This record gives sequence, C-alpha cells and structure tokens, in this order.
Amino acid sequence: MNIKMTPLLPESDAREAALFFVVAALCFLAVLATLVARGTYTAAEAWTAQVEGEMTVLVSDTDRRGAESAATLIEALPGVERAHVLTDEELDELLSPSFGPGGIPDGIPLPLLIAVDAEGDTTALAAEIDTTLAEAGINGRADTHSAYAAEVRKALGTLRIAAIGTVLLLTMTAISVIAFATHAALLARKDIVDVLHLAGAEDRFIARLFERRFWLLGLKAGAAGSVAALAVTAIIVFSAQSSNAPSELLPKLSLDQWDLMILAVSPIAGALAARIAARVTVGRSLRSSL
Amino acid sequence: MTQAGAPLASEPAVELNGVSLRYDTADDILTDIDIRLKPGTFTFLTGPSGAGKSSLLKLLYLAHAPTSGEVRLFGQRTADMSRNQLSALRRRIGVVFQDFRLLDHLTAFENVALPLRVSGEKPEDYRDEVVDLVRWVGLGERMHAFPPALSGGEQQRLAIARALINKPDILIADEPTGNVDPDMARRIFRLFIELNRRLNTTVIIATHDMHIIREFKAPVLKLQDGLLFADSSYEQA
Ligand SMILES: Nc1ncnc2c1ncn2[C@@H]1O[C@H](COP(=O)(O)OP(=O)(O)OP(=O)(O)O)[C@@H](O)[C@H]1O
Ligand SMILES: [Mg+2]
Repeated sequence: MNIKMTPLLPESDAREAALFFVVAALCFLAVLATLVARGTYTAAEAWTAQVEGEMTVLVSDTDRRGAESAATLIEALPGVERAHVLTDEELDELLSPSFGPGGIPDGIPLPLLIAVDAEGDTTALAAEIDTTLAEAGINGRADTHSAYAAEVRKALGTLRIAAIGTVLLLTMTAISVIAFATHAALLARKDIVDVLHLAGAEDRFIARLFERRFWLLGLKAGAAGSVAALAVTAIIVFSAQSSNAPSELLPKLSLDQWDLMILAVSPIAGALAARIAARVTVGRSLRSSL
Repeated sequence: MTQAGAPLASEPAVELNGVSLRYDTADDILTDIDIRLKPGTFTFLTGPSGAGKSSLLKLLYLAHAPTSGEVRLFGQRTADMSRNQLSALRRRIGVVFQDFRLLDHLTAFENVALPLRVSGEKPEDYRDEVVDLVRWVGLGERMHAFPPALSGGEQQRLAIARALINKPDILIADEPTGNVDPDMARRIFRLFIELNRRLNTTVIIATHDMHIIREFKAPVLKLQDGLLFADSSYEQA
C-alpha cells in the first residue's frame, strides 16, 4: 500500500514566485551572454583564420605582364592555393575607402598587387616568395597580415575573458539570491524546522527538504529562462538569415549542437547552484543552534 | 525499552550537574541545578509561573545548551556529542510542548507520524500503529483534520500522541493536561504511568495540577526563584 503524505515543507508562496522570476531572468541573461559571446567568437575566429591565410605581394619596377609571371611563380610554390594580380576594378574597390566612390584619380600610378591565398604558416611562405622573386629578378615584397591578425586575436582573448566574467557574475548573483531566499524561507518556516529538529531529524534531513525545494525551483525557472533565450536567439538567427546585410562580423548564432547543449545544461547548472546554496545556508543556520 | 548502547542500570537516565541558564537578560533563570533521575522514574516538576519549568525542560530535551554546568543523558555528556549523535538522542526523547507545536499543514495522522517519518520509517510500516494511537487519544474521527480545526484539548491530545509514538526512553511533558477536562487528564496520566511501568520510560512532567500530583503519588521537584528543591509536602496530603 502506498500512503501519500503531505510534504513537510508547505507548498510555495508569493515569495517563491518572485524568486522564480529572478532565477529565470538570470538564467536567460547567462544563456544569452554565452550564446552571443560564443557566436561572436566563432565569427571572429573564422574571419581571423581567413585573414591569416591571405597575403599581398607588392611588385614594383615592372608592368602588368611582369606581375602576371610573378603570380605564376608564386602559385607554383607549395602551400599556395591561388595567386592573382588584382585588376584595376579590384584595386578601385580596395582603395575606395581612401579615394571615395569616384575611383582613383587619373594620373596616380597604380601599384601592382598580387593577392595570395595560402594554407599553413604564412610567415615562412612570405620569405620563400621573397627569395623566389629575387631569383627571378623581380622586385617584390610579400606582406602576411600577421600583425593585423595578432591584434584581432588579442581582442578575441579579451572578449573571451569578458564573456566568462559575465557568466560567472550572473551565476554568483543567482547563488546569492538563492542563498538569501533560503535564509528567508528558513526563517519563515522556523516553526517547522524547530519541530523537525527536536523530533530528532538530522541536519541533512532538514537541509534536503530545502535543497529539493530549490533544486526543483531552479530547474523550472532555469528551463523557463533558457527557453526564452532560445526564442530570442532563434529570432536573431532568423532575421539575420532573411536580411542580406553583410554578416561576417555579426555574431554567428547558428544554434548548432553546442548552442543547444548550453541551452540544456544551463537550467541544470542553475538548479545545482540553487541546491548547493540551499544546503550551505541551511547547514550554517542549523549549526548555530544546539 | 532496551537499545544498543543502553546505559548500565545504575547510571542515571537524566543528570544535571551545576547547571545554570541565562537568556540574553542579565539574570540567571536557573541557578546551579543538580538533578539525578534513574531510568524508569516518574517525576513531577512544579513551581510558580515564570519559575523556569519550561526552561529546565528545554535543557533536558536538548533545545538549549546550559550557560554553565553539564547535562548528561543515559550517562553521556551532551556537550561532547556530535550533531548527529544529539539527533539520535532526541529520537529517544518524547516531548509534549506547552504550546503543542503541531504543524498546521499536516493532518492529525501526519503530525503523530512525524517522529517516525523523521527517522526514515515507511508509512506502510507505521500506519496501523499511528491510527491506533490517534484513536486512543480520542481523535479517531479527526484523523485527517488539520490542527487549526481542532479544539485546544484535541490539539493537546494530538501533541501527546506525537510524543508517545516513538515509545521514547524519556518522556518530557510541559503542562500536558492544561487544556483537557479532569477525566481526560486522568486518562492521560494513566497512560504515562503505564508507559513508565511497562516500558520503563523515564517520565518528567511539569504541572500546576495539585490534584493530579496528589493522585499519582510521585517525587516532586519544585522550582522557585531559579533554585530547585525536592518537595515532599504533597506526599503527606
Ligand atoms: N527565550 C527566552 N528568552 C528570554 N527569556 C525567556 C525565554 N524563555 C523564557 N524566558 C523567561 O524565563 C523565565 C522562565 O520562563 P519559563 O517559561 O521557563 O517559566 P515556566 O516556569 O515554564 O512558566 P509557566 O508556568 O508560566 O509555563 C520567565 O521569566 C521568562 O520570561
Ligand atoms: Mg512553562
């Protein structure tokens, strides 16, 4: 026979509704911060990798034909995927930020630039290109964009720290709020705690009642926050896909399996934090009595 | 009731040595109290209102630590015990609180079952026992009522049933018959006596009720101005 017993802690009250909202909101913010940080990071990472695989070779004291043959020489080198002399239009586009949409004024000598797409270590390749061109009697110098990429990498590192810091801060806030709420619940239910204590309940037994309560609350609130974050992310992904704005530098919110895992794990992490906060708070409060 | 680690018969079940108690106030509520109660004794505690009866009982059921002096239960110094050992000790003590301390959100049945539930026992195993005891205190019809819906006397009987359900080694009752009629009071005391004789339970009862004290002849301890006296005046009466 299974006899149903009323829970020893009475069902939730208004205070817990407020707590639910706070935990849900914190979880929402933490998930969103994680997803955006991760998306930004992924986008920037891909972009840096691309920049790092690019090189420009500036050739001088020669005409277009000389540049073409230099490009052919470069393309023959191992590790080079493609090398081509930039056309006047490509140059125009490249330099338009400096000269405006009117194009380059006539009479200004245009440099001859070879764009090189490479794979692997571009620094070694740059030296190799320089030697090859020198041996062929062509005056040229390769530029690896590495200094530029290093700047971007440094910015990415800062972004990562900021993202981790934000998530940590939100987690700590959630833990503090729950500890605070446990304390309030403990005071509000002191009558019950006292009776259980005097009836011989061990601290662990009493703590478990509160742990369970806040674990469930954390799970539910965390799930609500996570679902809200999912909805917002989905809207961002959808509107980014349906607009044709250049999206390379926008956060890459892909909702891939990693993102989905973050969404699934966050409520559990939140609930676990709630549970630990409850355990510590109850333990501490009980130990202050005999 | 014999248990593993039960004391030697000669060892007092309850022992206070030089115990004083002071709350946040400046004055001692209890001063230098010595008590030795052998297992299976039945003792009344009396004294004027505010004398410190409830405070003394709180020391015995381990709700409070004394300000100075030592409390020993079954020969063990409570100050040396771990928190879990103290909990285990509390499970051997049944308490009827002066203010009942029933849990309003639990039914009469569940209130009585509380000490068993706290010990991790299964409802299937204690159901019949609890039902019998609730019936015995005359609340068979109110088995699933909540305490706020019970009269003062009914609440008191419920509190008594909760204190007895564990068949405790020590029973501590603080004014257990303050809210019941003389007939019920007599029935309750007979139960206490029966528990005392049959299970060798050490019983300590704080009461103002002179009739009861005279009827159930037992040693009387009297508290007055924080001091404890053995009072033999009732025995001649
Ligand atoms: N928690 C507390 N904090 C401060 N003072 C207390 C506390 N509990 C009791 N007192 C004081 O200690 C004294 C003794 O109280 P106690 O309740 O032990 O008396 P009592 O003998 O049980 O009285 P009654 O017969 O009215 O129940 C009283 O003066 C009371 O005001
Ligand atoms: Mg009292």
